[in-house]
Order: sequence, then structure tokens, then C-alpha cells
Amino acid sequence: MSDEIAYATIAELGARYRKRELSPVEVTQALLARIEKLDPILHAFVTLTADRALADARAAEEALRRGDTRPLLGIPVAHKDIYLTRGIRTTGGSALLADWIPEDESTCVQRWHAAGTVLLGKLITHEFAFGLQFPGHRFPAARNPWNLDHVPGGSSSGSGAALAAGLVAGATGSDTGGSIRGPAAFCGIVGLKPTYGRSSRAGVLSLSWTLDHTGPMARTVADCAYLLQALAGHDPADPASSHAPVDDYLAPLARDIRGMKIGVPRAYFFEGLDPEVERAFEEALGTLRQLGAEVRDVQIPSIGATPSFLLILMAEAFAYHERDLREHPELYGEVLRERMMAGALITASEYMQAQRIRSQICDETAEVLKSVEVLATPTAVKPATPFAQAYDPEFGFPRSNMPPFNLTGSPTLALPCGFSSSGLPLSLQLAGRPFEEGTVLQVGHAYERATQWHTRRPPV
Amino acid sequence: MTLEELKERIRAAGVTIADNRLAMVRKLLADALAPVRAMDSRAVKTLEPAVKFSAKRGPGDE
Repeated sequence: MSDEIAYATIAELGARYRKRELSPVEVTQALLARIEKLDPILHAFVTLTADRALADARAAEEALRRGDTRPLLGIPVAHKDIYLTRGIRTTGGSALLADWIPEDESTCVQRWHAAGTVLLGKLITHEFAFGLQFPGHRFPAARNPWNLDHVPGGSSSGSGAALAAGLVAGATGSDTGGSIRGPAAFCGIVGLKPTYGRSSRAGVLSLSWTLDHTGPMARTVADCAYLLQALAGHDPADPASSHAPVDDYLAPLARDIRGMKIGVPRAYFFEGLDPEVERAFEEALGTLRQLGAEVRDVQIPSIGATPSFLLILMAEAFAYHERDLREHPELYGEVLRERMMAGALITASEYMQAQRIRSQICDETAEVLKSVEVLATPTAVKPATPFAQAYDPEFGFPRSNMPPFNLTGSPTLALPCGFSSSGLPLSLQLAGRPFEEGTVLQVGHAYERATQWHTRRPPV
Repeated sequence: MTLEELKERIRAAGVTIADNRLAMVRKLLADALAPVRAMDSRAVKTLEPAVKFSAKRGPGDE
């Protein structure tokens, strides 16, 4: 199969289906062959659903013949393996659930299925969306298609690797502290963490329920818009789900960004920044200015307190996993187990103080977003980490530019903005006002159209 | 956070953390706790209201 098909956008596939130049079955067969060839080195998939994919593709062909115009019809996707899939095992990337076949299905999976997508399978996740699989784990860790010796980011590691390698056209991710945006940044693709409450978490294994977000990952901003359109909307099964009306996420992509105000919060986000990341980010700001945006520095006074988000994450993760951690600690991977156990060591007062700090950061961010429409920062402070470093038990949980927007629940997009001298992708992060995903996508799309970073392919 | 304080917390929580992971956990907690220990606990606003009521029910709220 040509790279042209493997890397086709959702709009391109849809157009070619309707012109009868390609069929969903042909594309599905081609991708299954590509997965068979590349996945033994990438480990992006934990479960391949070839029969289901071909059945979905045949149903899509039938629908196309009837004149069905749904934009996701026949689009090959896969789900992060913390999304429950009825009758298909859902492992959470863990030994604990290695053979679990749920009877329920997550709302997001149902919505993409109803939109006519083709399900290729389940994608490996860091164990319970929190811990990289170390050597000897029941499931191998996914590898970065840009350099197999580097991590693809986590926790939506399989989603990032599969998209970068042209194995799927879209994937779900989840983001508690950056798990959509990190793999997007490290794999040179696009990831959107929608507003908290915009995309349902029902039927998705929880890591930290006040920080967890679900959302789409793809290779272009427009593809993320198509995928979000099918996910967004109230879900009574998710207590945090919003009743806010769902916007048209494609419409803003046709607009330019002249006069749009973009704020750059340098404090915190520029600490420990790799010089190549900084250079790429400043060039991206230059491009946004050339496109007519007004770019200026802004201040979020309490943003330096962001690391306290880990108190919330670890306490909630322990609360969710407590029974299994106490009864079957041996079924949790090394390092992950200790990270989760650490949640038991946090006092009630410390958890509450972290939530109060969070509230303060939310208020200050909302205030800043009255004067600018979007915030721009580097997504990751460094390019993808080598496995050799990530496997050091002392590696810990490095400081990150992504958790601030889990705390605030803001819609946040990560998209490619360059490459390091070693050939690893670099990424731009754009965060907006609650439920203004359209604005964030508009800025990202305008930047993407003005650059060529998203057209580069990894050497796999 | 000292190693002794960490061990005390582990005892109180009734969990087990391997000795060779104590340094990692200590650093993880120390980094996360630093902003909390630096905050003025009376100056930062409390999380209220504890209960919210809405006279208007949205679809699916029954």
C-alpha cells in the first residue's frame, strides 16, 4: 500500500470513497497488512480486531452505496485500551485485566461506531494510563516510529505510535496530565484534549476522575475536528458531562486568525526548556504573527504551583485502585505500583490544599483568557525521552507543561511545530476558553496550513 | 520530606513500598507537596459552595 493511502486524511478518504476511487474494505485490508508488517516492531496494538474491522468496512461500503454522507463513514480507527469495548478485551495495559472482556462499551466507542468508523483494534496504553511497561511486563511498551529507541510518550502511547506510522486514521486517547498531548508531541501528530465535560468518560477506566479527559488523536487538526464532532455532546452516564451545546468544529477552520489575541505565559512553561524546543516555539509564534495574530506575554501568577496536581492524581488513583492494590499488588507493574501506593500517603488536608491551589489557577487562567483568546506554550519541554532513561526507576515524574490545562479543564491542542537536530518531533500547545474548542482548532489549523511539519513521515 | 517521615506515612497508611523505591517515592511526594507547603493556607479561598442547586433541569438530568 502506498504511503499516500496510509497517511490520507479523513476528508481525503471520504472524498475518494465517494468518487469510488477507494473502498473502505480495500483501505481496511491494506491497513491490516501494514499493521502486520510494522506492529511487531512498534507494539502499538494490544488487540487486533481484523474480523470486526472487515465487517465494519463492508457495512460502510453498503452505506456509501446508499448515499450515506457521514464524514467518518469507513474511516479506520482504534481505541486506547482503557476504553471499554463490548466483547473485545480491554486490558488497561495491565496484567490485572489482561484477559478481561467487558460486557459494557464506553460512550466514545459507541459514538464513533454510530458515526460509521471501522474498528481496527485496541491500542496499548501505559499501564492504567500511568505507568510505562518495563521489560518483562505482560505487554511490551509501544515504540516511537521516529526513533525506536525513544518512548512515544504516554499514556496514549499506542495511539501516538499507530498514527505516526500510518496504521490508523484516528484514535482515542485520554489525558489526565498530558496523555493525549504528550504522545502527540513525541510522535509528531495532533492531539486534542477537549474541555472537561465535553467528551464522555463513561466506560473509560479512570486514573483520576477530576483530571481525566477523553479526546481524539489524529494526524491533522481538521481530522481532530471531524473526530471530536462525533464524540462531543452530553452523556447522562458521565456525571461531569456538560449540557453545553455542541459547536460545529469544522466551520472555524475556514476562518483566518487576523486580529486574534494569543497569550504566552512564559513563567513555569519555559523552565528547563530544551533550546531546540524554544527555538521552534519562537518560530511558531513568528508564523502566528505573520498570519495576523497579536501575540503577547501574559502572567498566570499561581502557575508555578502546578506540581501539586500530582497530589490530586495520586490520591484519586489510589482511591480507584485501592482494593486491587492491597489484594493483588503483584499484578501491578513495577514503579507504577509504588506511584499508586504513594497516593495512600497523602493526607486529606494535602489533597484539599491541592484542590484549593487548583481553584486559584483556574480563576487566574480564566482572568487571563478574558484578554486573549488562546494561550500558546511548548507542549513538551524536551523531545521524546530515550527508553534507557525512562527505564531508570529514579526517572520519576518529570515536570511537564501539560498538567496546568488538566487542572483548568481547558480545551488544549498539541500539534507539530518542528524537529530536533536528532530528527524527533517538537510540538506547539494551544489552550482556549472552556467549550471554545473551535477557536483552538482554528488557530491550530491556520498554523498547520502555513507550515509543512505535519507532512513529514517517520522512517519506519 | 525526610525518609523517616516517609516511612511513618507508609506505616500509617498500611501499605508496602519496596525499599529500593523509597527514594523515588520520596522525591515524587516532596515535589508535589512543595507548593502546598509554600501556600498561605488562610489566604487561598476555600472550595465553596459545597452544594449547588439548579432550579432548571437539563435534558437527561432526571
